[in-house]
Amino acid sequence: MKEIKEKIEQLLLKTQKPARYIGGELGSVVKDKDKVDVRFAFCFPDVYDVGMSHLGMKILYGLKNAVPNYWCERVFMPEKDFEAHMRKNNIPLYALESLDPIRDFDFIGFTLQYELSFTNVLEMLDLAGLPVYAKDRKALTPIVVGGGPCVCNPEPMADFFDLFILGEGEEVNLELMRLYEKMKPSCPTKEQFLREAARIEGIYVPQFYDVAYNEDGTVSSITPNVPEAKPKITKRVIPDFDHAYYPDSFVVPFTEIVHDRVVVEVLRGCIRGCRFCQAGFIYRPFREKNIDTIERETKSLCEQTGYEQVSLSSLSTSDHTKITELLTRLSDYTDKEKINLSLPSLRIDTMSKEIVDRIAAVRKSGLTFAPEAGTQRLRDVINKNITEEEIIRTCRLAFSEGYQNVKLYFMLGLPEETDEDIKGIAELAQRVVDLYYEIPKEQRGKSVQVSVSASTFVPKPFTPFEFEPQSTPEEIKHKQGHLLDNISSKKIKVSYHQQNVSVLEGVLARGDRRLSKAIYCAWKKGCTLDSWDEYFRFDLWQEAFRECNTDTAFYANRRRSYEEIMPWSHLDYMISRRFLVNENKKAHEAKTTRNCAEGCSGCGIKKECGGVYCG
Amino acid sequence: MAEMLVPKNQSLRIIRYEYRLIFEKKGRARYISHLDLMRAFQRVFKRADIPLWYTQGFNPHAYLMFPLALSLGIDSSVELLDIALVEKLGFEELRDRINAQMPEGLRILSAGEPVMKHTEIAAAEYVMRIKTKLTGEETVKAFKRFLGQEKIEIEKRTKRRGVNLVDIKPHITLISCEPESDEAVIAVRLPAGNEFNLNTNVVTQAFENYLGFEIDSIYTTRTKILTKSGEKFI
Repeated sequence: MKEIKEKIEQLLLKTQKPARYIGGELGSVVKDKDKVDVRFAFCFPDVYDVGMSHLGMKILYGLKNAVPNYWCERVFMPEKDFEAHMRKNNIPLYALESLDPIRDFDFIGFTLQYELSFTNVLEMLDLAGLPVYAKDRKALTPIVVGGGPCVCNPEPMADFFDLFILGEGEEVNLELMRLYEKMKPSCPTKEQFLREAARIEGIYVPQFYDVAYNEDGTVSSITPNVPEAKPKITKRVIPDFDHAYYPDSFVVPFTEIVHDRVVVEVLRGCIRGCRFCQAGFIYRPFREKNIDTIERETKSLCEQTGYEQVSLSSLSTSDHTKITELLTRLSDYTDKEKINLSLPSLRIDTMSKEIVDRIAAVRKSGLTFAPEAGTQRLRDVINKNITEEEIIRTCRLAFSEGYQNVKLYFMLGLPEETDEDIKGIAELAQRVVDLYYEIPKEQRGKSVQVSVSASTFVPKPFTPFEFEPQSTPEEIKHKQGHLLDNISSKKIKVSYHQQNVSVLEGVLARGDRRLSKAIYCAWKKGCTLDSWDEYFRFDLWQEAFRECNTDTAFYANRRRSYEEIMPWSHLDYMISRRFLVNENKKAHEAKTTRNCAEGCSGCGIKKECGGVYCG
Repeated sequence: MAEMLVPKNQSLRIIRYEYRLIFEKKGRARYISHLDLMRAFQRVFKRADIPLWYTQGFNPHAYLMFPLALSLGIDSSVELLDIALVEKLGFEELRDRINAQMPEGLRILSAGEPVMKHTEIAAAEYVMRIKTKLTGEETVKAFKRFLGQEKIEIEKRTKRRGVNLVDIKPHITLISCEPESDEAVIAVRLPAGNEFNLNTNVVTQAFENYLGFEIDSIYTTRTKILTKSGEKFI
């Protein structure tokens, strides 16, 4: 569509960071439209800078484009300035590779990474010129699909999507596209297609389920209303993770994005079982990539992209069984090529000093720990097995090497939390400061800064805390005040998240289908880019909740019984209810659970899923 | 810890070979900002395995130098990039190896030895294709009347004195101004370089203010980079 291109070109000159809206980056895949049978618009419901950093998109983009007659393109949420230009000049939302309007595509896929991106989905559908409600999109195409971690409870978004994809997407995305390719020539209705799609493992078509409610507002039943819909939809898992598809090329952006580097996934799932952590449960089981595979992927991506930085991605990289050998091999390569190797989520205490030195050689910026709670008792409640001794030992080592900054991450509002635990946060931070002064002057750096970040705990589905009430804003305010009261050193800096953001996140995370109306209403009032402080309008969200008679406390601040049917009870993420209940009980008794490497605790994941420690 | 702070680039090589690349930037690449262009080229060189010379220091970086920045949104086939290598490469080999790794819209036209100094850059020429609600001929006439004014004053913000008015008329040299279907095709020479630089968008903005309505579209191409004496910069 030449017209769109011309229109865009003039507007780009009046737009911030215009390179985000025109495509043409190295590694972007352009195909001949006439030779393509299925077109997929992969939408990340946030701005380019954020979305382009997302690993899942890179994987699925490469995977789909590896099929000659499928074409997957990228779409992001425009910033407000460009969005205003688009609306004023009637430019529909388009994909970056072809610059074609996405309303003409076969599939529009959204990845739902965080609750605060929900309104962006509506905004993008609307910008595309499509009705936001699934029921109003009567034609077969575009088929609007959703995936990503928030899909473990997609109910608040159920009315806007044709189907959801549960779990890992590498196989099921292609199965879905193949089904479409096969059925397309016979011109099926949307319902005919969705019924067939519902037979595929891991595909959830929300309109095929009726939800009934009790008088107290809780869910009483979730029942399939067509024979193709299964009573329980099970998430997809790639058992042979070492041989799973991984792209050999990335799209290399011109503008700087949040994570502007090569990313290689080294393992999936997590052995730790921290009770607050949704990722730790929904991505189970723990599987790892062979270090030869990791090395090969690192080299090929560095060569293709020209990036001078590579990062290993996982929930806990040091849990790889061959981590030392891996890092030795990788740093041999990166040193030679003047490439910077960075390792987020690394537990330094388990590693040899030599390796730490090699990796940390470049910039001594800082150390980050996530004790999450201020006392050992509360860390036992949440099953976060990092001890104060480990923190102190690592900090001592780091300070004597010249490190000056330590970041400590905590959560406020955890179950069983008392003022004593909050005081413990201040005390731990103070101990780290004191430790710095214990190091001889000639060994330590010039100064010390301990940053304490205290976010608000939000209970999430498929965790042992899914039953827990979230602290109210008043409770959190008290806790924040108590924390500040206990901090006396100027070397400790405290920061916390905007409270209202956590409230909204809490409501949406464990919400049900009735919330669709409130999301629609908030969006209509102008709520978009909610995850951006400068655009977040809690007042409008509150208005929306009021108008839709939504009791936010019902969703966020209520203790749920072990017997309650959750809005996501028909979705099976392979973690058994029994296990979650048991873990919840142990949490209240401050009893820890061993990690998967120490021995199986019977979470419900089957051995066939390929977990290293399963069975 | 003091003795641990040693520059990483210990195998520094003193001998360096300097090259001046002339490249084009057009199409989608037009929207790459100056800063992003630097990064894009670093990655191109990395992919092409060009033996770049690295600066010394705690944060060694490849030596890349753009003698004259190009405003975002402007096409050009005369852009300059100076680089230094630690090995000698043939001009054509260098050009071809780089081009094999370039993103859409960027292409090296030639590689050679730098002859002149950056400070010799004094002017640049541009062709602007301007479309307004007027016909091409009327736009041409309007532009000529615009240039025929006694003064063309624009507002310039400075940190010290706030907003003040600057007359840009003496700096604009009109080379040609012809209608081409519904567009006006205007070639101008403007001062460029470190001493004084005038961007085309300042001129077109002043023209738009003069017209009193919004210009529909402008496509600008930089066509020449010149020295004080009007020679081509090489």
